[in-house]
Amino acid sequence: MGYDAMANDVSAPAISRDLGKKKRANRSAKLKQCKLDARREQWLSQVKNSGGKDGSMGISPALPSPHRTMSLLRHSQAVLERKSLEREVNVGSGLDGSDSDSPAHSPIPIANMHRKGSSSTSASSGCSIGLCSRSVSDAEEDREEEGKGEEKGGVDDWEAVADALSAVVDHTQDKSDSVEKEVCSKKDEDHQNISRGAFRVSEPEPNRIVHRAWRADDASRPQCLPNLSKQRSFPVNMERRFAPSASVHTGILSVPSSCPICVEDFDVTDSSFLPCCCGFRICLFCHKKILEEGDGRCPGCRKQYDRVPCMENGISGVALSFPCRFSRSFSMSLRS
Amino acid sequence: MITLLHDYQASRARLFKEYKEVQREKSADPDIQLVCDDSNIFKWTALIKGPSETPYEGGVFQLAFSIPEQYPLLPPQVRFLTKIFHPNVHFKTGEICLDILKNAWSPAWTLQSVCRAIIALMAHPEPDSPLNCDSGNLLRSGDIRGYYSMARMYTRLAAMPKKG
Repeated sequence: MGYDAMANDVSAPAISRDLGKKKRANRSAKLKQCKLDARREQWLSQVKNSGGKDGSMGISPALPSPHRTMSLLRHSQAVLERKSLEREVNVGSGLDGSDSDSPAHSPIPIANMHRKGSSSTSASSGCSIGLCSRSVSDAEEDREEEGKGEEKGGVDDWEAVADALSAVVDHTQDKSDSVEKEVCSKKDEDHQNISRGAFRVSEPEPNRIVHRAWRADDASRPQCLPNLSKQRSFPVNMERRFAPSASVHTGILSVPSSCPICVEDFDVTDSSFLPCCCGFRICLFCHKKILEEGDGRCPGCRKQYDRVPCMENGISGVALSFPCRFSRSFSMSLRS
Repeated sequence: MITLLHDYQASRARLFKEYKEVQREKSADPDIQLVCDDSNIFKWTALIKGPSETPYEGGVFQLAFSIPEQYPLLPPQVRFLTKIFHPNVHFKTGEICLDILKNAWSPAWTLQSVCRAIIALMAHPEPDSPLNCDSGNLLRSGDIRGYYSMARMYTRLAAMPKKG
């Protein structure tokens, strides 16, 4: 919801900047359309493969958008087909005006909505998202699109598409008799956005920041941007950086340079040795001594040491860090 | 024999590290003064200030540390050299009844942290496991005032500089 609002805000300047570019490079845009068409075909075939064929085009006007069911999946496929039809009409009707390349009917908004996974995306917000992302970098967009098509062809993404598009479907259902009318309304919206954008262009600095901020889960974006997604992506980066040293489990806890028990410096084996899950590190020698002569409990948390410690050496440590990382990245993908 | 020697060296190294730490952070905890015996690193003395809002306030109490050669696997033996009226301190020997000096010891503790724990014990006596039965009984019977005045008296007598 917050994302939507942000996207709406952001879209305006993006459009106005975008517009000039589009006017000049209308032909190249056409070419791009062809390319994207091809890609869309790819997508559709993927949907058919993963979602299963369902011939019924009967779409109920009011969809419970957050429901994650197979019916929705099929629905999204239907929507996509309908969308592509609609777009052909639009493209056919002419690249005449200033915003003839109406972004709401290009595949890009779909991609974006699908990434966002927002269930309450309205048609207009979807449109503005498309504009916004396109203005960032077309090349980047293309890359993303490909990545998505191949990597994340799973159910989750298509559900998101369905969620995002359900609102659009409602919109189109009402005016299924004439697609042109809808296009007109979309144009109107665009014009509104443009006027807003003209109003805002005077302060480009904050806009630029926000304008990138909504692309939170883009892996290729610079990390220095100040937004919430930085926090979200932080553990991932941490993991990538420190995974070889097997300090994933300790998280922020840094590896001490010497054993707190015998104050001898850690060697390589010791620093990858994690005897207790609480993260309290001691050297192998002290660990052995505590097991044999001492009470066999971790000095840090006083829990009984397992006879087989969490990690015996660096290699198994790294190996053990994989499930952890996997689970975390899994949850990340669920959230994003 | 070899392991014993190693234990000795290991605990020596550890105590030496603690010594350096104490020297470095002398002003870190003004309530604790840890001094190592000149000739024997296994004998330490500590001076701790009685915590405020207790009958021990204003007193300075001397502790004697005797450190086993298996330290830090085994806890140091600590006792009060200064007489103190406290339910968990033996009135005659100065022995301290404190879990971390017995079964709850962890090698991660240091002499400094033991001192802190003893200060905390002075502020929060445990009358249910008394070494000083008189003091424990006073507290258990709810005679806070009796306990307070006895403890205060002994603090004045033993832990505070004599006046005049």
